Amino acid sequence: MIEFIEGNDAVVRGAIDAGCRFFAGYPITPASSILVSMMRELPKVGGVAVQGEDEIASIGMCIGAAMTGYKAMTATSGPGISLYSENVGLAIMGETPLVIVNVQRQGPATGSATKGADGDIEFMRWVTSGGLPMIILAPENVQDCYTLTVAAFNFAERYRAPVFLASQKEVAMIREVFDYDRARAEAPPAFARPVAAVDCVYEPHACSAPDQVPLMSPIGGPHLVRYTTSTHDQRAYLTGDPEIIGAMVEHYQRKIEAHAEEMGLYDEELEPGAETLILAYGVSARSARAAVKKARAAGRRVSLLVLKTIFPVQEKAILRALEGVSRVIVPEMNLGQYVEEIRCLAAGREIIPINRMNTTLVTPSEILERGGLL
Amino acid sequence: MSPEPLEDLREEEQAPEACPSYVLPEMLPYGFCPGCGHIKIAGYLDEALRRLNLPKNRVVLVTDIGCIGIIDKYYDMNAFHGLHGRVITYASGIKLADPDLTVIAIMGDGGAGIGGAHLLSVARRNLGITLIVANNFNYGMTGGQHSCTTPLEAVTATTSKGNLEVPLDLLETLRPSKPSFLARTSVFGEGQVDLLVEAIQTPGFALVDIWDFCIAYVGGRMALNKRAIENMMEELEMPAGVLYRGTRPEYARAWRDLYLTDTPAAPAPPKGLQVVGKSELDHKVGILMAGGAGQKIRSAATLVGAAAIMSGLNATQKDDYPITVRTGHSVSEVIISPHEINYTGIDDPDIVLLLAREGLTQVARKLKKCSPTARIYVDESLAPAVDSPGQIIALPLNATAKEVGKLAIGPVAFGAALARENLFPVEVFEMAARALQKRAVAEGNIAGLRAGLTLGKA
Repeated sequence: MIEFIEGNDAVVRGAIDAGCRFFAGYPITPASSILVSMMRELPKVGGVAVQGEDEIASIGMCIGAAMTGYKAMTATSGPGISLYSENVGLAIMGETPLVIVNVQRQGPATGSATKGADGDIEFMRWVTSGGLPMIILAPENVQDCYTLTVAAFNFAERYRAPVFLASQKEVAMIREVFDYDRARAEAPPAFARPVAAVDCVYEPHACSAPDQVPLMSPIGGPHLVRYTTSTHDQRAYLTGDPEIIGAMVEHYQRKIEAHAEEMGLYDEELEPGAETLILAYGVSARSARAAVKKARAAGRRVSLLVLKTIFPVQEKAILRALEGVSRVIVPEMNLGQYVEEIRCLAAGREIIPINRMNTTLVTPSEILERGGLL
Repeated sequence: MSPEPLEDLREEEQAPEACPSYVLPEMLPYGFCPGCGHIKIAGYLDEALRRLNLPKNRVVLVTDIGCIGIIDKYYDMNAFHGLHGRVITYASGIKLADPDLTVIAIMGDGGAGIGGAHLLSVARRNLGITLIVANNFNYGMTGGQHSCTTPLEAVTATTSKGNLEVPLDLLETLRPSKPSFLARTSVFGEGQVDLLVEAIQTPGFALVDIWDFCIAYVGGRMALNKRAIENMMEELEMPAGVLYRGTRPEYARAWRDLYLTDTPAAPAPPKGLQVVGKSELDHKVGILMAGGAGQKIRSAATLVGAAAIMSGLNATQKDDYPITVRTGHSVSEVIISPHEINYTGIDDPDIVLLLAREGLTQVARKLKKCSPTARIYVDESLAPAVDSPGQIIALPLNATAKEVGKLAIGPVAFGAALARENLFPVEVFEMAARALQKRAVAEGNIAGLRAGLTLGKA
């Protein structure tokens, strides 16, 4: 079945199909339609949706509900992410599954409320104090808004961590063809939250190895559940012991980084003998695809890697795409953020960042011209 | 105020002999400063819980940052220790998720100050959590800085010459919102447990403001002892006791009663678009629809896109409009193509529909730079203002729309274009209108399209 809907609508559809039953948010363009739609749609499936008094309250309520057994989501834009910052750290510390949709707009500050940008990419990566790994997925079209929202919930639940969906106005508020049947077929099956056995001695952060994920047990369920924002032992009691703190941090790092490849979502169109690779994500990937089509039609050999999982960085996929390539083009609607991740992996190659931060899309012709593909 | 602060609580500071059931004996003694009022509050809460005999797994203690925030570790029940000032938000999420849980939040006056918006909101919602404010008039954990309840003239680490900020009356601040229960007490008097029992039993939001004693800073520098605190209640007209009992419904239940009226079921399948026609279009076409607010530009653009999809094409639509309604521009960009649409910008439009001056202003720069092949369908009144190398096709669009209905101006203009452009079959546009819109609206738009077709063919 095909429809003509917006990216934000597809996010809502994906969230509900992934099992989201709690939403709290605060109005902000261009994310408001997610709030409004969730408040309309969640009650139909027995879910709870509220408008918080501010962004801090909204994410706080989501964290509380998530620990009480709900799959939860919140949505905002850059200014709201600033206010989410501290609570994203709490979600990491408490191992709270949570999907955070960031419908990016031109910043900084209030910026251009109704205009698109990808200016928050590294902001989301380093959003909170402490510098622990983050999971961030970037949709390039309405179809992705559905499938990546489902994937975001699955990763959040699987790794007990906050997950960002790095949307933006140009993806969220564009109406295009959405094939619901295909989206459901392509999306991973919703991951059911595993919970601790009723008769176990429950410890909220106990796991068999640093890269493993402890089982949850809902607050109010069969076990007594402790949760804390402070450095803690596996029973969630505050500790100042450097060895225990070190083990805690190692766990938070390893449970994401050791499973980076399991979270690898990307499209690769690698062409043998290509000297140029275009590496893109989000809406700029659409310009990259258009540029690749034109370049190939003109007989150029060019490879394309579109990343849907931007964090954790898909090192193996990127290194594979870089093999034999002497030039890498990285288009972004910012001053050049993700390109820095690529520089770390693409030593010895010419790197061409193509950046725009004036609310307009990077154009295919700009990629062709600046990338020497004409 | 007399400087005799340090003796008030000294005799009562020992840990209880027999450990009450909600407190973990192995965690005692309490880690608070000897003589700290928090020790007494920990006891009141335990006593209240014992009286209520609640199952431990159905009680959650949500604690804030600050000295009082370490209190949860002494209890044998669910505990959520969150960020500073945000205790109400976590408690709210927990209560909304499980309305039958007993949710008790504890914070200091510091948390009340930084989390003021949450305090106001939870009282307005009347969400069923019990909030205990261990109000000791300063930030003890960080070295005795002044808080939102520090008395006027008090000397603290950050008010060395006296406090100039009027102390906040938590109860009177919340009373206009009519929450379920507002009470004040202190760690010196009696009846604290009774108040806590009533607060916890109250279905809606309950606040117990407990005037507390910080031996580290307040007792000394601020010279607040038992007598001084009791005098302060009188001087500030903030008496102990129950200030207010309300009868508003509890929010988490009320929300469910109001919004979860239907039995949860799989959501109804969305209305899909069927491919019913065939387009002969062999290339991508960018259509710019520029008008003013109230002209239903976006709705017309959606019909164009949907009709294209129903003709087997791909389509994208982007809208630009100010945050106001009924004033300013409304510009929609629609791309239709037999191929996959990657780049969604329209840098050089193929077709332009110009319907209002506000829209023209918005797209003027694009029109000035567009190709000579661009077809610009414009209301005749606006035509002289168009500065473009494109082909200007001036038509009485507004006058025609007036005849069939002003809101059909978009379909009128698109009909005029469709008469000359081979985009997709006319009848598919009509089917799209009937599939997506209410009958009267659809018929109005169809009439508009037909009038436009006649105009375009002429």
